Amino acid sequence: MALDLDPEKARPWIDAASPTHPALIDRGHITNELFGFHNVPMAVWIDESGTLVRPAESASVEKRESMGPLPDDLPARIKDLIDEAQQIPDIGERYRAAVLDWVERGADSPYALSPDQVVSASHPRGRSEAEAAANFELGRHLHDAVGKDAAVPYWRAAHTLDPDNWTYKRQAWTLETTPEGQPSDLMQPPTELYEGNWLDDVKASGGGANYLTKPAFID
Amino acid sequence: MILSEPQVTVSEFEARTGWAVKPEGLCKGEVCVPAPEAAVGDDRLDAAVLSTKLGMPLVHDEATGTWALGPESLGHSLTTATAPDLELPDVDGNPFRLSSLHGRKVLLVAWASW
Repeated sequence: MALDLDPEKARPWIDAASPTHPALIDRGHITNELFGFHNVPMAVWIDESGTLVRPAESASVEKRESMGPLPDDLPARIKDLIDEAQQIPDIGERYRAAVLDWVERGADSPYALSPDQVVSASHPRGRSEAEAAANFELGRHLHDAVGKDAAVPYWRAAHTLDPDNWTYKRQAWTLETTPEGQPSDLMQPPTELYEGNWLDDVKASGGGANYLTKPAFID
Repeated sequence: MILSEPQVTVSEFEARTGWAVKPEGLCKGEVCVPAPEAAVGDDRLDAAVLSTKLGMPLVHDEATGTWALGPESLGHSLTTATAPDLELPDVDGNPFRLSSLHGRKVLLVAWASW
């Protein structure tokens, strides 16, 4: 499920993967409200009865490939950004093993939580985070109904109200930093419209090592 | 939830939020919040009352006369472990309902092009 305001940005990835499972689009990031997603990639596990057995948490099933040595002539900001990205914990192998254990053993898997455990382990949401969600959705609606600029005040508010929500920030930033007709920009450098940007916000939140909401079974 | 007035139909409220309107109040999972004053006629709810009772922020854009009713703020993003009956489109706009996967394990992954 892609959290993409523009489904056409997600289409090349879906076409390349040619998945046998459903591949959905959440333009309004409403699954943030319903499940507690606040970054990507994140996942929830749902059993055969429709009950969540793990709350929203960072998810990856592939070991990250090493980038190798960086060229000496890279701009300093790009080097800095890659350094932070490389500090993001690589949870792929352990997460994949946990998923496979649950697939095989179901409720007997130690990774499958009880309903009470799932609720209490779900992402905190107080008034500020809920208000951020309302502001983000209003911005998304005005983006469609009025135009891109109408969304900005509400998305800025969402960023301030819930600074730990990366989907609200990265979705807005990338719309500003992606050239027309190009794939979504992943670098998301500073803009005049928004106070934050990927590199400075990652640093402010403790660096790439703190970027994920790691499952409790991963130290 | 986007609203053109500070009211919402019961069916829209239930479908989008997973809360159910019952005789004992507004319910989700084991949680029920009495809110008799939320009813507006037979099939509508007062968004301001929902905001007060469930901590759902109500944000208004004066220029367009639009409201957005946010999710409940009761401490956690999940009030129940029962998955909502979410419906989303695929990349071609075809609707898909999460409940159609009942009987199978589901790994619901959020990703993005950005």
